Amino acid sequence: MGLLALGTALDWPDAQQHASKVREWGIKQLLEIWNKAKHKERDAMLWGDEIEYLVVTYSKDDPKVLLSLRQADILTALAADEELAQKGGGVPALQDLDASQSNPLPVFHPEFGRFMLEATPGKPWGIGFKELLEVEPDMKLRRKIAKEHMKTNEYPITLTTFPRLGVPGVFTDPYYPPSGSKLRSQFVPDEIANPHIRFPTLAANIRWRRGRKVQVNVPVFHDKNTASPWKDPTVNYDMHKWPEDADARNGAAPDNFIHMDAMAFGMGSCCLQITFQAKNITEGRKMYDQLSPIGPIMLALTAATPIYKGFLADTDVRWNQISTAVDDRTEEELGEKPLKNNRWRIPKSRYASNSTYISTDNRLRPEYMDLNLIIDESIKGQLMEGGMDERLATHFAHLFIRDPIVIFAEDLEELDMSKTDHFENIQSTNWQHMRFKPPPAGSDIGWRVEFRPMEIQMTDFENAAFAVFMVLITRAILSFDLNFYIPIAKVDENMETAHTRDAVLEQKFYFRKNPFPTRPPRSAVASGTSTPLMSRPASPSGPVEDEYALMTINEVINGSQTEDHDFPGLIPIVESYLDSVNVDVQTRCELATYLDLIRRRASGELWTAAKWIRQFVAKHPAYKADSVVDDEINKSLVGAVIDISEKEQVGKGWKGLDGVPDLERLLGQFRGGCGGGGGKEAGE
Amino acid sequence: MTRIVLSTGNIISGGPSIIRKPGTYRSNLEFTNSLRSNFLAAQQDYAAELQNGNGNGNGVSGYHDQYAQPNGSRPATEVWTEMDTATSTLYVPRVDWSSGSLQEDREQYEITLKLFFLPTAPANERAAYIKTALQLVTKELGVRSVDLLIASFPGVSFEGDCEWEADKLNANMGNDEEELTTWRELEALQSEGKIRKLGIAEFGTEKLARFIKQVKTRPAVNQINVKNCCNVPPPLTKLAKEERIELLTHGDCTDILPSGTLRELLGQGLQGAGVLADGESTGGGLRGNLIPEWVVKYTAFVKDRGVIENKGYFAGAELVEH
Repeated sequence: MGLLALGTALDWPDAQQHASKVREWGIKQLLEIWNKAKHKERDAMLWGDEIEYLVVTYSKDDPKVLLSLRQADILTALAADEELAQKGGGVPALQDLDASQSNPLPVFHPEFGRFMLEATPGKPWGIGFKELLEVEPDMKLRRKIAKEHMKTNEYPITLTTFPRLGVPGVFTDPYYPPSGSKLRSQFVPDEIANPHIRFPTLAANIRWRRGRKVQVNVPVFHDKNTASPWKDPTVNYDMHKWPEDADARNGAAPDNFIHMDAMAFGMGSCCLQITFQAKNITEGRKMYDQLSPIGPIMLALTAATPIYKGFLADTDVRWNQISTAVDDRTEEELGEKPLKNNRWRIPKSRYASNSTYISTDNRLRPEYMDLNLIIDESIKGQLMEGGMDERLATHFAHLFIRDPIVIFAEDLEELDMSKTDHFENIQSTNWQHMRFKPPPAGSDIGWRVEFRPMEIQMTDFENAAFAVFMVLITRAILSFDLNFYIPIAKVDENMETAHTRDAVLEQKFYFRKNPFPTRPPRSAVASGTSTPLMSRPASPSGPVEDEYALMTINEVINGSQTEDHDFPGLIPIVESYLDSVNVDVQTRCELATYLDLIRRRASGELWTAAKWIRQFVAKHPAYKADSVVDDEINKSLVGAVIDISEKEQVGKGWKGLDGVPDLERLLGQFRGGCGGGGGKEAGE
Repeated sequence: MTRIVLSTGNIISGGPSIIRKPGTYRSNLEFTNSLRSNFLAAQQDYAAELQNGNGNGNGVSGYHDQYAQPNGSRPATEVWTEMDTATSTLYVPRVDWSSGSLQEDREQYEITLKLFFLPTAPANERAAYIKTALQLVTKELGVRSVDLLIASFPGVSFEGDCEWEADKLNANMGNDEEELTTWRELEALQSEGKIRKLGIAEFGTEKLARFIKQVKTRPAVNQINVKNCCNVPPPLTKLAKEERIELLTHGDCTDILPSGTLRELLGQGLQGAGVLADGESTGGGLRGNLIPEWVVKYTAFVKDRGVIENKGYFAGAELVEH
């Protein structure tokens, strides 16, 4: 397992010297995979979901909820569980697992944050419709197994971020003081990160390359009693331990922003990511492009991140915070200084929305492409010389403008063409909202596409609903040959829009009005004696601006009818797909429940997690309408989330959670409801 | 007497016809809209071929003029339909047999047919309908056999305020004798290897229980329409489980092609194809009494990828001249 490969991680000045070599070897490895796998065909649709948890300590008597830093111990306990291993589950990073099991138990993985845990199914899911119903029980099982290997006062919860990460004083168990040599953060200790050398090095070298600490600034939510202008009261302007302590004095913490200064504030967020295996490279490239415009929609719809560092933020999602938390661009690359040592000004962080479309689809118009795309021309040249087509070569030549951040000295000794480590070094530190994944070396896995924007939801019911919805939408895209192309610049804009508080109801997003293919003229015409001439416009030729419109999330999900367009809606599209396949009644009804959750979230009938959390805070007796989320509110909130999760494990509805306000606004009558209404709501 | 075969071609990537409008649970809109748009597409394609058809060297000038409608937008019927004089069958539109064949190996697919026997047609002709429908679909897809054929009988439906009520109403619907006779025809085709599994649609508990007592091969599938309760009546669930019959969903209406609808589709109206003469008018078009006989819906589904590659309809009707 690459993750645990120990070695000598190079400090940035050293690593920088070898960046070109890593890139060069990475490109060689990429061409090797590409040549081996470009004709790979007929791979099944397999897919996987990843659930990420925060591990918190919670007990009735303790006034504080803390982040548990026992990730390593929990993983060790999971790996030591013989019964789990016998049934194919465990921790692949620590042990060899028996992959031959027909229904292996879930597996667990370390994550960047030492308070995080990731769990995936024991084997990839297929597309049998009944199989889609196994996802939710499996997610619940993962949570149960995780909990069983924790202390009684520790809980895995699926909040995107810990509301009081980085507050002054104690917020971790055990406590470590901030301002360590690696992160040099005012707010969090070095020990917040997974201690494996890869992670602190990643954080340190990002800071080092950048020339200062990362600046994660989130606009504060101005409530009735919030000062205006508001100054983050937790920022210490008078620290003199590290040179980076000057950042705060040099304007890193502007008024009206919650200021954070370390990678953990971003990479410590939990997401719901879905990976799909494509039939072949062509289908993979198509899925990559077609899912890309859907990304911001799903980000807004899954919004779950309204609190940072003990303050209510004026944004609802995590995305930009992660983006800035790993932004290794120098002042020159950011455009703050003229270029001298760096090669380019780079418009986006390594963690950002997509910058390329890569499909061979002839509906991909040049006008959709990113005008500001930065690529490494020489790498593009090498790839094309190696036989790769220009479009895909451009994609990788764009990813490869980045430096490798973590380099192990041992890996530089010899280029191993049977591995993909150097390629992956660059590829896996480009965190765009879609990822196009070539088959790993030495495996039978096919070309894959990862969908990365969604926020984790508090319950596994919701997580399963969003995962299954994404699976179904990919099937509908491929079956109906749908076309969601809009210019990349508009997808970027949508990604920003998705951050707005309550964007799901308050904002509009650019979306393509007509997703349908134009029907090709029948082949009798084309193969006849005459010159084939299209009798009607086969490919769109009007202005690109006429192809898309601003739509609400409700219109995108549930459909719209305006004078300008009648976009059918993603849910009706999925339902039409289901209408055309053989699916048994029970399965169809269960799937309808998932679609119904999404339909209601989009219409505003049900709240996003972000809205629910905001309301929870606003109604809390300890809240003073001053944007502050203190220990008491935090404890209530996390306590409620734990209660919801435990109720879900029991599986008998949400009844009895009287202390949790507005639960029916979050979950409606789904999964047994909150009492009173009965359970008849599912398919309506 | 003329037989008419209507076809939609592959509608899976044919645009909005296939998208269900929210709130509609049972409808034939997909079918009728797809027919309409296929007629239109064929009219445009073949008319364009004519207009640009001078490349074949015969240089007949004005060739297309003789086929153009004097008054209008529609090309003459002869241009875009095809008359097979041997069988006296009019294909509306012409079928492009080269376009539908499957892209992958046959075993990758699950090919499902649903054959609607229409209330307007005589039950004693069903053997012929089955044969024709099966022939058309297998030719279209370029296959020798299909995986599942679901028979939908006239007058049988599973409708009510809720599924429980539907199940009760269903008991006395349809015509058991005719259905059993038809089933025997299907069983024969199954034993010939032309159909792997057989199914029926909209059979409630009682009707299904009666049916399976009298047939040699039990249906593998019973398709029912669940409106919004998602409460399958427990007796039906139980029976299906015991008899290992899969209960599948669908959203079709049973009388998928009423005479009036067909007449409108083929007629001279704004939405019509101009194949059929209007009742009183002196304009062109075929004349006679039009009897819809059957409709077959087919899908080719790539099993391990969850992708529908081909979906379409054929329909058969008879034109009886006065």
